[in-house]
Amino acid sequence: MKEFILINLFATLFFTSCFTQENDSFSPLFNGKDLSKWTLGEEGGFEVIKGELYTSSFGKGNNLFTNNWYCNYVLRLEYMLSDVGNSGVLIRCDPQDPWKTGVEVQLLAPWTPRRDDLHCTGSLYGHVAVANRPDETTGIWHKMEIRCDRNTISVSVDDTITTLASIDTVKTMEDKLLCGAIGLQVNHANIEGQYAKFRNIYIRDLDSEPEYITGGFYEKDSLLRSQAHVAAITLGAKMVEPLAIMMSGENPVAKSGSRQVLFDIVARATAPQSAEKYKNDVAIALKNSANSTSSEITRNYLEWLIGMIGN
Amino acid sequence: MKTGTNINRRRFIKNTTIGIIGLPLLSNTYRNIAPSDKIRVAHIGMGNMGRAHLKWFSGFSDVETVALCDVDKVRLTEKYKLLQEINPNARADTYTDFRHILDRKDIDVITCATPDHWHALIAIMAFQSGKDVYGEKPLSYSVEEGQAMKKSMEYDNSVFQLGTQIHAGENYHRVVEIIQSGILGKIHTVRLWKTGGSPGLGFPPTEIPPDTLDWDMWLGPAPYEEYTPVRCHGSFRHFFDYSGGVFCDFWCHIADIVYMSLNPQGLYSIDTRGERPFNGIADTPRWIEADFKFKDLDLYWTTDPPSVPGAEKMHIGAHFEGVNGSLTCDYNIKIIRIGNEIINDITEVPETIPRSPGHQRNFLDAVRSRKQPESNLAYAREMTLPMQLALISFRLKRKLKWDSLKEQFEGDNAANYLLSRGVYRAPWFLPE
Repeated sequence: MKEFILINLFATLFFTSCFTQENDSFSPLFNGKDLSKWTLGEEGGFEVIKGELYTSSFGKGNNLFTNNWYCNYVLRLEYMLSDVGNSGVLIRCDPQDPWKTGVEVQLLAPWTPRRDDLHCTGSLYGHVAVANRPDETTGIWHKMEIRCDRNTISVSVDDTITTLASIDTVKTMEDKLLCGAIGLQVNHANIEGQYAKFRNIYIRDLDSEPEYITGGFYEKDSLLRSQAHVAAITLGAKMVEPLAIMMSGENPVAKSGSRQVLFDIVARATAPQSAEKYKNDVAIALKNSANSTSSEITRNYLEWLIGMIGN
Repeated sequence: MKTGTNINRRRFIKNTTIGIIGLPLLSNTYRNIAPSDKIRVAHIGMGNMGRAHLKWFSGFSDVETVALCDVDKVRLTEKYKLLQEINPNARADTYTDFRHILDRKDIDVITCATPDHWHALIAIMAFQSGKDVYGEKPLSYSVEEGQAMKKSMEYDNSVFQLGTQIHAGENYHRVVEIIQSGILGKIHTVRLWKTGGSPGLGFPPTEIPPDTLDWDMWLGPAPYEEYTPVRCHGSFRHFFDYSGGVFCDFWCHIADIVYMSLNPQGLYSIDTRGERPFNGIADTPRWIEADFKFKDLDLYWTTDPPSVPGAEKMHIGAHFEGVNGSLTCDYNIKIIRIGNEIINDITEVPETIPRSPGHQRNFLDAVRSRKQPESNLAYAREMTLPMQLALISFRLKRKLKWDSLKEQFEGDNAANYLLSRGVYRAPWFLPE
């Protein structure tokens, strides 16, 4: 009961924040026309039919993977399964060995024998069971949302959280990647004509949001910090101000990380092959932050970096 | 003490304690050291290397230890006691501000064992005040500082020895004879290594510095930072604000044998890989690999020993690869491989290079003779330079092209910017 309340509370907070301000930051992974942004193996197994992504195979067919790798994100999609539909969403995986490197969020029609909570729709298949069993009705569209937030993975079906996992406490997930491709499993069934269908596939890449990246600078786990550092360098100018603020703050972990990453951003900006826009934007952001910071240590450091970029 | 031929050019620092530091004034003061006179030595920086300096120099009968200086009164008191144990009649003055030592006209020589970020400033100010310098490695914090030191030393006709005492050892002299004999054929590749890197040092909170430590003076020209013990004694080397990590620390010792034996010229490319520590405020390399291309030599540095026989057992080493054979050495040993033969020496190679009387003695002799010692500034600067360039490549995470005549990177303004410290915290500056 306690768990149930907690999950509901979490779900409420989660969806309140998601749906009020975050819709804009979702971008489509599937254009309804073709498989651009995706890679499909030689055996096929997926096709686009009437704006929907359709998978049906009997004996052969490959899984479908995004071209890009993602670390922290919210993935939204709609799916429909046939009576013996059996598919899944692979997350944080290397397509070379997806089940070993990543995990599968299961999508499974409730055919007999009835699968347990560790292997039903919404579970992190074989690793983390669902806490709330979702509606498994076949032949209708369901909404799914998967949130990969550093060491927390949550899954919801039809706007209700089914699974909430702190993966650093799951023994079987110790060696899993923290970043990887997103995959859709080819529908596999022993009966012909069974299928899984997908539509409205959207992703919000948390690692492109300064506020989210900033949170990573305070993480205890050095791997997660490094991940945030890389994301900050990639983002460049937009991170300069939050970094300058962290550098002037009290938290020694965030202080030293932000100082180092500010240098790395300037190092990247000054590379001969670097894009002129990245460099110019960083230079402007440095000047703005140097003018606005109240910390003398930070200002001196930023001015030194300005000298480096403007030289 | 100096011969006096350049009296009118000799300068010293006056009024050094009230912030008009580095104001060059013409000085008419110098001391001639008569052969019967003792050389009057002052030690600046009384940590572990300062202790070694104190012991080494006070062991010479023609040296008088006249002053000790450290920004940390605990260390200063400790080393003063040590001096009195060594010589109960010693009457050394103690200072926390090195400018008092530079002010004194009765001092001939200073030794400097401060953290790296002070090396150049203290050496140049010492030259300007008519003193010779035995300075700890690395030579300087930046490339620009090394250039300024050389200029100043030449201008003031001073004597400088870098404290790379392994240079004076028998092994390096013998390695030079073997390499230079040509018996291994042309040496095309040298691999250097030193295991270990900077630890992260954790994320300690800042503290109020102890009353006994002048933290502001310790920082000197480096950017102001709140005090935390790991930034200071014993581990300052793991911060780019003050130094360049283990690589920077040990380069001078092992690259020394490359410069002694081959004196590689025409460095044109530096490509460095590596990582900072993950867990801590330290920012110098946890590991580093650098590829240097010289006109006639490929030089490699690695944190892990290279895959050559025997290297895995050595924490530091140099491996010379010649057309006819190889030589692997560290401070004390050498292994020569020619064909299937593995030997420790080649007796046919004659002993041609004069042996050092000891690194400190060599320096003191130079102070008297006014001839530069073995590990003099010009030599030490060339030897130190590739290390400093590799750290810039490490920090920028890119391969760099170097113009060894202009001493500038090609087509990389940011890299050139890092050849100097840029900003010296007031009131400090790089004296000219």
